[in-house]
Amino acid sequence: MRHFLKVTIFSLLMIGFFAGFSNFGIPEIKPAPPPVIEPLDLTAMTPERFVSLGEKLFKGKGTCTLCHNAVGGRAPLLEQSALIAGERLADSRYQGSAADAQAYLVESLLEPSAYVVAGFGKAGSGDTVSPMPSARAGSIGLSDVEVDAIVAYLQDLAGVEVTVAIPSGAEPETSDQETPDAPPRAALASADEVLARFACVACHKVSGEGGELGPDLSRIGATRDAAYLRRAILDPAAEVAEGYPPIMPMTYSGEMYAGELQLLVQYLASQR
Amino acid sequence: MTYQRLRVPRLAQLVLVIGGTYGGFWLIFDLWLGQPIPRSLMGMYMFFVVVGVLMVFTATEKSTGQLVGPIRALVEDPARRWLRNVVFTVVPALAALGVYLQMQPSDEPPLELRSIHPAPPSSVKIFGKRYDLMSLENPYRHLEKDDPEQFRELVAAGGEVYIRNCQYCHGDKLDGKGPYAQGLNPVPLNFQDIGTIAQLQESFLFWRIATGGPGLPKEATPWISSMPVWEDFLSEEQIWQVILYLYDYTGHRPRSWGHE
Amino acid sequence: MNSTQLPVAIVKGVLGACRSRTVLLVAGLASVLLWLGVPTELLAAVTGSPPAAASTALDGGLSGIAAPELTAADYPSIRGVNARVAVWLVAQLHLWFAAFVLAVPIFVFIIEAIGMKTRDKRYDDMAYEFIKISITAYSLTAILGGLLLFSLIVFYPDLFSYLSRIFGESMFYYALAFFAESAALYLYYYGWHWLQGGFRKWLHLTVGLVLNAVGTTLMFLANGWVTFMMSPAGVDPAGLFAGDAWTAMHNYLWNPINLHRFIANIAYGGSIVGAYAAFRFLSATRPEERAHYDWMGYNANFVAILALLPLPFAGYYLAAEIYAYSQQMGITLMGGIFAWLFIIQAVLIGTLFLSANYYLWCGMGRSDGAARYHCYIKYLAIAIIGSFLVWFTPHTLVLTNEELKALGGPYHKYLGPLGIMPAKNTAVNIMILATAVSFLFYRRSNRIATVSWVKAGNAAQLALYTAGIANLLFLGIYHGYFTNTVYKVAASIPQVMTTLIIIVVSITLDSLMYRGAREVAPLNWGRVPNRAQYALFLLAVAFTWLMGLMGYIRSGIRQHWHVTDVFRDASPDAYTPTLGYAANVVSVGTIAFMVLVIFVFWLSQVSGRRTPSEGFWKGAAG
Repeated sequence: MRHFLKVTIFSLLMIGFFAGFSNFGIPEIKPAPPPVIEPLDLTAMTPERFVSLGEKLFKGKGTCTLCHNAVGGRAPLLEQSALIAGERLADSRYQGSAADAQAYLVESLLEPSAYVVAGFGKAGSGDTVSPMPSARAGSIGLSDVEVDAIVAYLQDLAGVEVTVAIPSGAEPETSDQETPDAPPRAALASADEVLARFACVACHKVSGEGGELGPDLSRIGATRDAAYLRRAILDPAAEVAEGYPPIMPMTYSGEMYAGELQLLVQYLASQR
Repeated sequence: MTYQRLRVPRLAQLVLVIGGTYGGFWLIFDLWLGQPIPRSLMGMYMFFVVVGVLMVFTATEKSTGQLVGPIRALVEDPARRWLRNVVFTVVPALAALGVYLQMQPSDEPPLELRSIHPAPPSSVKIFGKRYDLMSLENPYRHLEKDDPEQFRELVAAGGEVYIRNCQYCHGDKLDGKGPYAQGLNPVPLNFQDIGTIAQLQESFLFWRIATGGPGLPKEATPWISSMPVWEDFLSEEQIWQVILYLYDYTGHRPRSWGHE
Repeated sequence: MNSTQLPVAIVKGVLGACRSRTVLLVAGLASVLLWLGVPTELLAAVTGSPPAAASTALDGGLSGIAAPELTAADYPSIRGVNARVAVWLVAQLHLWFAAFVLAVPIFVFIIEAIGMKTRDKRYDDMAYEFIKISITAYSLTAILGGLLLFSLIVFYPDLFSYLSRIFGESMFYYALAFFAESAALYLYYYGWHWLQGGFRKWLHLTVGLVLNAVGTTLMFLANGWVTFMMSPAGVDPAGLFAGDAWTAMHNYLWNPINLHRFIANIAYGGSIVGAYAAFRFLSATRPEERAHYDWMGYNANFVAILALLPLPFAGYYLAAEIYAYSQQMGITLMGGIFAWLFIIQAVLIGTLFLSANYYLWCGMGRSDGAARYHCYIKYLAIAIIGSFLVWFTPHTLVLTNEELKALGGPYHKYLGPLGIMPAKNTAVNIMILATAVSFLFYRRSNRIATVSWVKAGNAAQLALYTAGIANLLFLGIYHGYFTNTVYKVAASIPQVMTTLIIIVVSITLDSLMYRGAREVAPLNWGRVPNRAQYALFLLAVAFTWLMGLMGYIRSGIRQHWHVTDVFRDASPDAYTPTLGYAANVVSVGTIAFMVLVIFVFWLSQVSGRRTPSEGFWKGAAG
């Protein structure tokens, strides 16, 4: 019995030592809680918000930075990806079916093996199979809209124009991202409301009325197409009409909802 | 074993070996290399050194007897009552003192795990523009060869910026010992040290200076570095100039990928 | 709260059930029936009406089994019971006992075979003693398995029904195999004395082989379920499972886990047997009893160490496969919070090596001839402790602010490089080699080689180890300091090969050298200090605790998924617990396991006791 007690005490001491070391010998780190599923409200989506949603997804739910970072060298860096996407389409090693740069980017997220950057393929595959999982599958499980958001972020990162279609108030989707802090205002329903809300007529003439600081937009549809107008609103500095000062605010891309932008562009393009 | 010759008691040998190992660690790491072993690690090191020494000293019956003999005699021998009473008083008292000192509240902040000089992001937004840190270069560096006179002027301008803004912490000798350095934690960087700017590209410096403590990435949390966000106070040109000055004064060369 | 109630309940249940051998048998059979009965019933229920797992297939077709999307409300709770801890503890206890009852027959089979070959009856007696223990442990395993099944059904009904839809077939075969296992075990045990001598002994050994084959199959089947949860196979990108039970079972991590668990089981069996022998040695009164248990402890320790040596390599294989399956899972495993778990693991494995070596050193005292080697012990200790210190030096140092200032930053110039893989691999390999040298010294302790080339042989041994260690150090330093990050792990394979080659060559060389060696002093079994028995105990305790800890990380790397990337865990307990919390649960589990094992050992002793009962029975002559 004496030995039994001694052995018991010895064993308990040892277990205590192991537990003590695990509790006090090493720093106690609280693991991050599992991501929370919250509905993502797309009604108040502006291009800027869409890009920043893409950035959040890129760094968070999409787990992209796990490999696409400057430290590990596990995967190519993506800063220039949107710039060089067009060149990839012409590459002889390209296996996919994308027709333009944007489609290439989307495809690269969904079917990573369509083009594997030299040196980053699965070991032994001769750079034909990518180790990257599809962004739609499994734990990442991005929706189509989220994939688009990431592509928008990549385009913004490379400094090219964001060409991705920005969702305009479709049915709410679920996403692991929290919604923006401020309660969004209700979306405007007509082009007139948009013109009024953003005070376009303070500088521009629309239908013959308005200021003269900016070009007359009464017949703008006759000379410019929708794509030009869209860019001119989102990034006014890109091309300033001759004879006018570059004073148009750069803030519309952050304030105007995608649906509103669409209304406005359609309206302007129809002014012939 | 040399105990036949020296006749040092086994118990004393044990204490000597353990103490010697501790002293050896201290001599090598603190004194010679100047890189002390952190206390948390030292505790674990010494714990296992003691375990190992005890294992060696009790591996044979003879050696164990020599080790345990005096202790047993101390506890059991009636003739040593006086010594026993002293030991039985002093040892618990020492233990109590140790516990007391350990439990003393201190003004030492809690330990934090953070890396002060983390890997840079591959690109960063400064002054409203996006810079690719992998390819970013000092726009004035080429003047060193192309136009030495203008280069000297830029370095002097950088010196001016440094003395006005940086020396309070980083020191007028760029050794991290400015007037405010004592109050700061983490300590201001010593640019003279071969392990700091000499190991870094100019783009890394540009990033660190422009975004300061708040611009550190997540792995460097908590952001307790008090380095200001200099993009709010300096212009892009001034930052590049002060970088020229840092390398010029210390005589280090910036690291570049071209030479590797 | 629950964690303390559970073991008590188990002990009560077992105490109630195990009053006699027959009751025990009935209990064993009942638990088998329980395994058989419940899943099939449940299967019927499940296949009859698919639960909330409404098919999410886009085309509406029934092309596979969809993982249900749950909310916290789908997890039943019992007041005062933490579902996760309950399942965790029961599963871990079941696993420990399962490892024990699988390992002991492997051990017994090897020992019986040795006994048959050498015609040394001591081996046969020892083997019998252990299979006796195994019988009681077997029924405990089944009871715990039933408990695990119930707790899964109670606390995680949707997960269980999902898994049983996929694995229904294999669960059925599992239950059948359990029957076969029981039959083989009872035949093996009760037929021990009947099947003795000549052909009958062969027959008995064959039954032992069948027993082990069935037992290993059982483990492989259960491993299939577990690894499916880690690395599901046969699941399409939409999350629908379309394969059959075999597809699901033959998933990415199945074989790595099979190998790792099989080797670990052998080592674990050895360590538990060693603890048993140590305890019997300590409480033995007669010299021959002491000699017997000393000898038993030595053999058990030998088996444990032999299996322990390849275990790190099996671990590398498993970790490499986890990386290959999913880089994300690999990074979760080796980085982040689990990085510190490997520091704890280093302390535990270091403890295993230290106690195994200490046992060998103390064991040298059995022969007077060992004095020649005593002076080398301290060098071995320096090598082992030194490697050990390197091994548990963490990559990220915990620094006080003063230390931060003194170091000029969080990076330690000299200790920093010890935190990365090449240094740690080198340290582990040197530790293994030092253990091999300890063993060589032990082997030589009572003998003197008489072959003519003794000097050359010793020189060759010395050269072999020097060259080997130099190679290990070179590989470690070269890959640690002079190559790109990508190649840091590349050193491990040549290092492992170096170590294995040295061990094999040196033991072969030594056995040739000591062929027909002269005995200088007899080997006195039983002449070993009590301290050494505590080393054996520590081996078993550390092994058990380590298994629990590694169980936590194996399960933990799935993070908030029941089935990785397919079936999300929506319960309130989906978060990853901290290391300290996990260590506490593991400690409670280890204590519960120890209590049960002591009970099992005690039972095996009780069965041999007789209390005189004169005057109690009618007509019996006193």
